[in-house]
Amino acid sequence: MTAFPISLFVYMDICMCIGFYIYVFRKKKLIGFQLGMNISNVMGGMTALLSGIVLIWQFPFHFTAITILSALTGALTGALFGLLFDYQTFITGLTNGLMIGIMSPMLGAVLEVPFLFLLFLHGLFFATLVTILISIQRS
Amino acid sequence: MVLLFIIICCVWNIIGVHLVYRLFKKKHMLFDDRFTMTMCMTAAMIHSFSVALHLELVVASLNKFLFLCPILIGIWIGWKFGSILKNPARLTGIYNGSIGGLMGTMLGAVIQNPSLCSIPVVSDGVIALNMYILSIFFTIVHFKIAVFIRYSFTI
Repeated sequence: MTAFPISLFVYMDICMCIGFYIYVFRKKKLIGFQLGMNISNVMGGMTALLSGIVLIWQFPFHFTAITILSALTGALTGALFGLLFDYQTFITGLTNGLMIGIMSPMLGAVLEVPFLFLLFLHGLFFATLVTILISIQRS
Repeated sequence: MVLLFIIICCVWNIIGVHLVYRLFKKKHMLFDDRFTMTMCMTAAMIHSFSVALHLELVVASLNKFLFLCPILIGIWIGWKFGSILKNPARLTGIYNGSIGGLMGTMLGAVIQNPSLCSIPVVSDGVIALNMYILSIFFTIVHFKIAVFIRYSFTI
C-alpha cells in the first residue's frame, strides 16, 4: 500500500531536481557567488537526505551500500550545481553533500514513523525551493 | 588482519592531512577572504572526518573508555587549520572540525555495533567486511578531495 506514494515521491523529486537544474542553468549569469554557494549547499544536502532516508526505509539490510550510494548522490548533486558557478562553489557543494549523505541513513534507521517524517521532509524541500526561486527573482 | 589494514589506511590519511597542512602553511600569503572561508570549511571538515573515523575504528576496539579521543582530535585538526589563516577563520575551522569529528565517531560506532541504530545484525564476519569496505571508500574519497584542494591553488 505504501509502495505507491514512495515511488511517486522519488519520481517527483528526480523531476524537480532536473527541472531546477535546467532553470538555474538558464539564469546562471544573474546569480552571484554567494547565492550560488547557498544553492549548491541546499540542493546537495536535500538530495542526500531524501535519498538516504527513502533507501534505508526500503532496504534495511544493506546499510553499507546505502551509505556509499547516498554519499555519492549528495556529492554528485552538490558538485553539479556548484560547477555552474565557480571552483570554490564546487568544492563546498561536494563536501557538504558528502557529509549529509553519510549522516542520512543513520537518521533514517532510527525513525519510528517514517512516512510522516518523509511528508515533513518534502514540505521542507518545497519551502527551500520556493525560497531559492524568490531570491533568484530578486537578484 | 582487518585491524592491520585499517591502521595502514589511518596512517595514509594522517600523511595526507600533513601534506595539505604543509602546503597551506607555505602559501598562506596568497589567500583572500572567500578562499580562506571555503578552504577552512572543506579541509577541516573532510580531514577531521576521515581521521576520526579511522581512529574510532582502531581505538574503540582496544579500549572502551577512549571514546572521546577522535572528537578531540577532530577539534584539534580544525583549530590547526583555522589558525594558519586569518583570525576569524579560527571559528569556522573549530566548528567544521568538530562537526567532522562527531560525524566520524558516530559512523564508526554504528559500523561496529549496528544495533545502536536498530539495523539488523547478521554476523561478525559481515561487520568486519563493512569496516573493510567503508575504510577503503572513505580513504579514496579523502584522497580525491585532497587532490581537488591541491588543484585549487593552480587556478
